[in-house]
Amino acid sequence: MAAILQVRNLVKRFGGVTAINGVSLSLEAGKIYGLIGPNGSGKTTLFNCITGIERRDSGAVGFKGRRIDRLKPHQIFHRGLGRTFQIIRVFPELTALENLLVVTTSEFKPARKRAEELLRFVKLETLADEYAGNLSYGQQKLLEFIRVLMSDPDLILLDEPAAGVNRTLLNELLDAVKALRDRGKTIFLVEHDMKVVMGLCETVFVLDHGEKLAEGPPGMIQADERVIEAYFGR
Amino acid sequence: MKRWARWFPAALALLLLVLSVYPLWATGYGVRVMLQLFMWIALAQSWNLISGLTGYVSFGHVAFFGMGAYTTAILVVKGVAWPLAAVAGGVMAVVLAFVIGWPCLRLKGPYFAIAMLGLNEVLRVMASYFEGLTGGGLGLSLPTLDASVRIYYAMGLVALAVTAATYVIVTSRFGLRLMTIREDEVAAEAMGIDTFRYKIYAFLLSAAAPGIVGGLAARDMGYIEPISVFPLVTTITMIVMVLFGGKGTIWGPVLGAVILFTFQELVWANFPHAHQILLGGIIVAVVLVMPRGILGVLQQRYNLPRTV
Repeated sequence: MAAILQVRNLVKRFGGVTAINGVSLSLEAGKIYGLIGPNGSGKTTLFNCITGIERRDSGAVGFKGRRIDRLKPHQIFHRGLGRTFQIIRVFPELTALENLLVVTTSEFKPARKRAEELLRFVKLETLADEYAGNLSYGQQKLLEFIRVLMSDPDLILLDEPAAGVNRTLLNELLDAVKALRDRGKTIFLVEHDMKVVMGLCETVFVLDHGEKLAEGPPGMIQADERVIEAYFGR
Repeated sequence: MKRWARWFPAALALLLLVLSVYPLWATGYGVRVMLQLFMWIALAQSWNLISGLTGYVSFGHVAFFGMGAYTTAILVVKGVAWPLAAVAGGVMAVVLAFVIGWPCLRLKGPYFAIAMLGLNEVLRVMASYFEGLTGGGLGLSLPTLDASVRIYYAMGLVALAVTAATYVIVTSRFGLRLMTIREDEVAAEAMGIDTFRYKIYAFLLSAAAPGIVGGLAARDMGYIEPISVFPLVTTITMIVMVLFGGKGTIWGPVLGAVILFTFQELVWANFPHAHQILLGGIIVAVVLVMPRGILGVLQQRYNLPRTV
């Protein structure tokens, strides 16, 4: 199967700091991938470079067989690549429903129907007309998750989807991610919760100091000496 | 709530009817005061379109007013009918907005505000410099003409048009997308919104009315000079009106314009010069006590729909 996302020798520097140092990876469609690594290892920067929020210094990003590393974030989004953020970025002074309505490219009526379905899906339908800024942390997290689903993207990057979400909601969120995978979507997620990563992902990438340290199935990653060392030191 | 929704359109229609026959029995002074109020509504509402919705603060919005005033004055002196000249003023203001917006709306944060402040200063100096066209520091005198009543209707029409446009925008997804830029521009981009294009649209829309209104004001005053059509205090007044009434709302700028203009007229009549101190006092009070403005506070507290 052809790769849906291909990252080749990606380099990103901030002043003297090399945040991403020649990372290459490739994702196949219809699978769930994990990205782990200690704090400051470049996970979010990698996501930002893929989605066009940061401009890479060198290297290439290909999505569905076409280069996207020179495109703007909104153009990349319209190619079918959506994302959520580590720090919540809902639109606080828009209502929950409006947060969803601004996204999609379709007509107003189907968009509204889809938005209402998605709100029911995460049990936020009673809060549809509440300002997003008034929702709890977990609710905002869910809202951001369904917001990216409004456009039905083929590849979804989730930056720490489980952080701050309670257990019951979390299980539903994980089921939702699996359901998306079963519908042929590709998921790439950053997560610190190892249970989530190990239970969900088919392949895990490990970043350390901006370099890819390891890549493989969760079981293998967990046993990898270098990974343990990167996290806990020698 | 429901009852309010029913009688509000009726009250609005009645108000418009009264305003449309007002010049029949009003004094000349009354007409002049009302046309100025319409002017302020149009200006405040225009500033709200760019700065209230997208959060990009324009500190030089009076530049479009001045552009419209000079365009109209020059054309009128050359013999063009004033309504046509005022429309040309609006067009020129939009052209100016495109020229300045194309580079400057790529800037994020306070740089746009600073660039707009600079634009206004540059235009004022240019108006003084190109004497052949603008009359320089001596200004331009327009042929005498008593058109107060016609200007009253023209100003009223512009104020109504901008308010109607704001209503359409705020209740549409286009308006919601403009607000996402204010809320979180990076997230808006990541959700597929071409923020630069949206900002340009909002900016062009916000420049049209000040251009037309500037032209009408020039015709009404009969004489313009650089300092009278490019004063920074006009921009500040627009900003205060919007902040006071409620930025990003439909009726906030109207409310702010009506209250502040009435207040200013009273203070101006009784204590000349005190109105600037008052303006400053209101800015401080609004920022400290209710940064969302009157309607913003009401909307937030009672969870009112945006159309209120």
